[in-house]
Amino acid sequence: MTALLVGVCIAQLCVVGLLLIRLARGPSVADRIVALNTISTECATIVLFFAAFADRTVYLDVAIWLASFSYLGALVWARYTERGLL
Amino acid sequence: MVLLCVLGVFFSFTGALGILRMPDLYTRIQCSTKTITAGAIPLLCAVALAKGFDTAYAARALIVAVLLFLVNPIAAHALVRAAYKSGIPMWDGSVKDEPGQRSTR
Repeated sequence: MTALLVGVCIAQLCVVGLLLIRLARGPSVADRIVALNTISTECATIVLFFAAFADRTVYLDVAIWLASFSYLGALVWARYTERGLL
Repeated sequence: MVLLCVLGVFFSFTGALGILRMPDLYTRIQCSTKTITAGAIPLLCAVALAKGFDTAYAARALIVAVLLFLVNPIAAHALVRAAYKSGIPMWDGSVKDEPGQRSTR
């Protein structure tokens, strides 16, 4: 079972690597924001799987924080480009 | 459990591939919001199954699943609205632009 948890961690890290290409290449800022938002979602699952693998309950709160506040960056960017003020 | 993990990783991988290969910001946002969420939820269910439903892991995993389910569409909606209003162009092959046709300016 630990092999499965670690395997999912590594696979998700490969997915994050694919997204980092888009983050580096994205023609506009919005593309980069989309990639970053997706990376934070993936990171929440990675941290959860790592917490389950390492048997540390402390890391779970990191995952909750990532899942609940990661969208704020996208929201702030959207508000800024739409209205020009924060 | 293995099935859930394989499903989640498959959806996440196809979502990332879509974000990498799609021609347009709007199609990329579609990949990001639907496929990635559909990939994350089976993975979180797999954590809950692997650790047992009466542990802290399962509770936290289900909280994260609900949060992602609520938050990802909100962020995507705000992003695509702002991007459209700031005039980021659509792909040449897209067939319909309803808000653009409706405005008379």
